[in-house]
Amino acid sequence: MNKFKAATAELPKTQTTFGNKLKRFLKRNWGGWAIMLPSLVLFAFFIWVPLFENISYSFYEIKRFERQSFVGFDNYARVFRDPAFGKAVLNTFLYAVWSIAIGFLLPLFLGLLLSETVHFKGFFRLGMYIPNIISGIAVVLMWTNILDGSNGSMINGFLSIFGAGPVTVLSDSKWVIPVIVLVMTWRGAGGTVLIYLSALQTVDSTLYEVAKLDGAGVLRRIWNVTLPSIRPTIKLLFLLQIISVFQVFYEPMVMTAGGPDNASISLMYLCYKYTFIDRDPGAGAAVGVMLALIIGALSVVYFALNRRVKQ
Amino acid sequence: MKKFFARIGERIRKRSANHIPFRYRLRNKTEGIVTGMEYKKWIYKLLYAAILLVLLAAVLTAVIPVLWLFLAGFKDAQDVFKAPFTFWPKSIDLGKIAEVWKTVGFTRYFLNTLLLVVGSVICAVFFNGLLAYAVSIVKPSGHKVVYGLIMASYMIPAVASLVPLYANINKLGLTGYATFVPLCLLYGANSYYFMMIKNYFDTIPESLIESARIDGAGNMRIFFSMVLPLSRPIMGVVSIFAMTAAWADFLLPYLLLQDQDLYTAMVVIYNLRSSMANMADFGIDKYLIAVAITILPQIVLFAVFQRQIMGTGATSGIKG
Repeated sequence: MNKFKAATAELPKTQTTFGNKLKRFLKRNWGGWAIMLPSLVLFAFFIWVPLFENISYSFYEIKRFERQSFVGFDNYARVFRDPAFGKAVLNTFLYAVWSIAIGFLLPLFLGLLLSETVHFKGFFRLGMYIPNIISGIAVVLMWTNILDGSNGSMINGFLSIFGAGPVTVLSDSKWVIPVIVLVMTWRGAGGTVLIYLSALQTVDSTLYEVAKLDGAGVLRRIWNVTLPSIRPTIKLLFLLQIISVFQVFYEPMVMTAGGPDNASISLMYLCYKYTFIDRDPGAGAAVGVMLALIIGALSVVYFALNRRVKQ
Repeated sequence: MKKFFARIGERIRKRSANHIPFRYRLRNKTEGIVTGMEYKKWIYKLLYAAILLVLLAAVLTAVIPVLWLFLAGFKDAQDVFKAPFTFWPKSIDLGKIAEVWKTVGFTRYFLNTLLLVVGSVICAVFFNGLLAYAVSIVKPSGHKVVYGLIMASYMIPAVASLVPLYANINKLGLTGYATFVPLCLLYGANSYYFMMIKNYFDTIPESLIESARIDGAGNMRIFFSMVLPLSRPIMGVVSIFAMTAAWADFLLPYLLLQDQDLYTAMVVIYNLRSSMANMADFGIDKYLIAVAITILPQIVLFAVFQRQIMGTGATSGIKG
């Protein structure tokens, strides 16, 4: 022991200086960091730097996408004064309500039904999933032609068989949001059903046996056994649904341009509209910052839930 | 090829081994909310029939709009939205597809899209793979900070910081096909792909890596000759995801690709909506065919990789 102490005492003092520490750190880790570097540059360029720059942009006057002069909260003030912003916030709320009523409950319902079937299961799964594979923009263009009433639409041709219609849902401020949510659900439901399906397969079937022995009917079994068993998944998908509401974009952009009279404008579309249509990137950045904050807060909750699901 | 058929044969044999004849399936049902015993009662049988009907309705709702799109294009322009609605066109003239393909000039746009897809897949696998390798296996000190940063920005969509992102890419001053470089590289910075790959790498036994290191293999050598071959399944899944995502990519290509020669298929069909008014003899029917043409590769892709796409979507528990 003493010998060891003596040996270390003889070592030159420089051993512990910062420079040497750094050298040692680099020697041990340069390989790992060299591997990460290219990817880190990409992450920084595409995600991290824009995220922070966005905050800075939102406090500057911007011309031709260059920061000109610091203007404090001017951009935010301009956004808050714009009636379209109030409308977008209100719409986000409406989108949320409708997407919970339709987009959240429908896949859960279909997932329950699908997990009960023993016939054509693969066919049902596949069929429901098909809309998922089509690109968002093509889906929206397709539905515009099905629903848009301006120069004839598929739906009106179809309704005329029964002598009904014509409907102009996309230019009706009352119907435009539920219809957009329906289109979103049409595209997304199949994927969500699959997630529920895999969760439902893990439900302990002895619980059903016990419930049956207690004389529980089908609805009772669903309410007291099935739903509690998959509650973590339900919570998770509920949150994802809410998060996705804040990102509604292609639908208002293509189907309605946010109209009629801003009735379907969403926060994401508002951000795009300020930046590229109204040529006011400062306001766009301000909306982007608010969006990032909201989604960031929601994703913190999401991760807390996700951790519990995995346990 | 021989291997391929052998695998299919294996799958069919497996399936027939636990295959229950159609009529006995309900009676033999042991799992789920309602089990076989109860299905002896007629009320439950009725309920089951109702379930099948609802599911059939759901599938029809999912499929019919797409089918309509594919069929309506074969009608004449004035018949597409005609009042007595007909689902089937009078005739299916495949020559019309070729005609639309030529008028729009899809060859060039499909090649552009292909370029974007190939570049994106390479970037997605290579850059996310390397980063996951470093964080999961090499673990230089400070790798936890990197991991934390990626997780922190996991859910926030890139579009929320659209303004600086667009400005920064624009500042690079890229023209021509160089504009595709950032569009592809964007897929190299994807937290979702990174997580999928990292979770897979975490399952590779450490002893395997250790033994390679003792044999004197460097980090890169281990990555290319050991980790990559071992992780072929997850790299396949990430490739398929990146493939479909790049094919469907719209907003950034739309904003960044100013030159019409550089358009991708999605940008073309979006712009076609407004430009078709100026095109002679290009009605709604041909427009619908154009949209259908851009959807077709996605359907083919799905048909080929159906198992991988639906498998991970269900098990990862996270929506893409």
